Amino acid sequence: MPAVRSRAGGPAAAGTSRRVASGARAGARTRGAGAGRAAGRGRTARGGLAWYLIGGVAVSAVFVLPLGWEVIRSFQPESAIGVPLSGKSLRHLTIANYHSLLAGQDNIARNVINSLIVAVLAALVTALVATLAGYGFAQFRFRGSPVAFGLVLLAFMVPFQAVLTPLFVEMHFLRLLNSLIGLALFYTAFNLPFGVYVMRNSFLQVPRELVDAAKVDGASVMGTLTSVLRPLIVPGIATTALYAFLFSWTEFLAALIFMTNDSLFTLPVALINVEAGNYGAINYGLLLAGAVIAMIPCVVVYVALQRFYVRGLVSGALKG
Amino acid sequence: VAGTEVAGGTRPRERARTGRARRAGPPGAQARQDARTGLALVTPALLFVSIFTLFPLGFSVYMSLTNWPLVGSYRFIGLSNYQSLAHNTLFVESIVFTLKYTAIVTLPILAVGYGLALLVRSNRPGSTLFRTLVFLPFIVGLVTESYMAVVELQPSSGTVNFVLARFGIVKDTTAWLVHTGLAVTAICVLVVWFASGLTMMLLMAGMQAIPGELYESARVDGASWWSAERSITLPLLRRSIALSLIISVVGSFLAFNQFYIMTQGGPGTSTTSVVMAIVNTGFTQFNVGLASAMSVVLVIVVGLITFAQFHFLQRDGD
Repeated sequence: MPAVRSRAGGPAAAGTSRRVASGARAGARTRGAGAGRAAGRGRTARGGLAWYLIGGVAVSAVFVLPLGWEVIRSFQPESAIGVPLSGKSLRHLTIANYHSLLAGQDNIARNVINSLIVAVLAALVTALVATLAGYGFAQFRFRGSPVAFGLVLLAFMVPFQAVLTPLFVEMHFLRLLNSLIGLALFYTAFNLPFGVYVMRNSFLQVPRELVDAAKVDGASVMGTLTSVLRPLIVPGIATTALYAFLFSWTEFLAALIFMTNDSLFTLPVALINVEAGNYGAINYGLLLAGAVIAMIPCVVVYVALQRFYVRGLVSGALKG
Repeated sequence: VAGTEVAGGTRPRERARTGRARRAGPPGAQARQDARTGLALVTPALLFVSIFTLFPLGFSVYMSLTNWPLVGSYRFIGLSNYQSLAHNTLFVESIVFTLKYTAIVTLPILAVGYGLALLVRSNRPGSTLFRTLVFLPFIVGLVTESYMAVVELQPSSGTVNFVLARFGIVKDTTAWLVHTGLAVTAICVLVVWFASGLTMMLLMAGMQAIPGELYESARVDGASWWSAERSITLPLLRRSIALSLIISVVGSFLAFNQFYIMTQGGPGTSTTSVVMAIVNTGFTQFNVGLASAMSVVLVIVVGLITFAQFHFLQRDGD
């Protein structure tokens, strides 16, 4: 056991535990010849699992502990964040940073609400429009359908960072600058190609007999969608909405360019003002509290809807 | 290119379906009705994509041929924006910097992501939890983490110096974000930590798609773990590796947030990425025409990378 602990002390490379495990397995095979195969195998399987868990915990810690540490730090008073760390300073934790961030003069609460409005709106509109388009592409034949789908995939490959200047001019013309709805519409457009792709795949997996039966029963196109098909496409809708929400909640560059009015900033952009000390002296306590608030919805939504997120990644990854 | 191919691939199946459906009603009318409905259903999505992505794409080419100011009148100046790009130090240096940055982070992200994928691909207890935890930095996003890093990289008070000074690696007073080399080092470590979870997920999906029987028979043949990885996993994972490489290379090429938040492109303009150069030219110097020319170059470069990717995938695929 002491050997195990010393191993786990370092951030074990992910491959190590696996290699150790197979090494142990090889050892077991030779040992098993003398001492009874089954017993030997059981013992090493347990040993391999222990190694695996220790390695996994160590690796996970590298990725999670920094985030957890920032959560703790955000509860330190500002006076303790700007001076050298000490064990003593960790004994005084307070919600002062959150209080002054949300209720103070800079009124970041408004920016949090802006972010929520934009992200929820973008998620809903993306899910709705992508569902309709996925239905259309998968279940109906019309002239130009391949071309239209090709255009959507072309948009998939255009990085919005590279078309910011024309977008700015265009959104100015459409009166969509300095507008939360305008920002949400832009986020919707950016998330649609992936959403349409996911929803089209969802509808392609629907058994044709279901749609035909609904048609025979006299169900309308929309009636078929909302009654017969709904349960089958809910996972796809969840995937689409989840991606759009997470993207919109964390997006920074477009929000920075399209919003010039402080009161309309989303949370990530508003934190630039905190970082730059626009509200007086630079206050790292405020900055950390704001960052933790920005982090919470991501973690909650992802942990709750994880299987939908992974589903989207896998469908994208395996089908190119 | 890939788009039409994907759509074309499904056509025979759809044709068979509509053939069956058509028998229900009068032949032509039903098909016409279907066509109208289908078009109506996809129109909103097409409008969104056209207005916010495809039109700006074409519009940026048009703007790049003008001396467009942010507001006010403009005139055509031909290709002179493109000619001046070669002498634009901000742009040229930002390209060099972005290339260097991409070169530094790409392999570590792939290597760490690959190692992580080996850890989480198995069905052992805990693997799902490890996967979730390792992926969290990617979910939380680089913007939030850049703000956190700014606080923790401060001399004397930041946690990074506190920890590293204990090991004698740096002095407690190291000011990470005001020296180019240190700032780039810190940002690269942050980005590898942030992005390797995504590579892990993509490679894990690829690994899990490899039939287990291949490993079974390799084991029966007495192959070691290492040789099974080399002769089974690596070759069959080429598509996934290419995909994750392209996502990370394109992402590095479009980097903006971490530099804007952590160094503001400085000291001087030494950590100014291409997107940052475009933003500065267009929205600080109000030279939108020139910024559009830069954008067109960036779109072409990113397009070439993506095209190379699809070329690679198609040659190896299926």
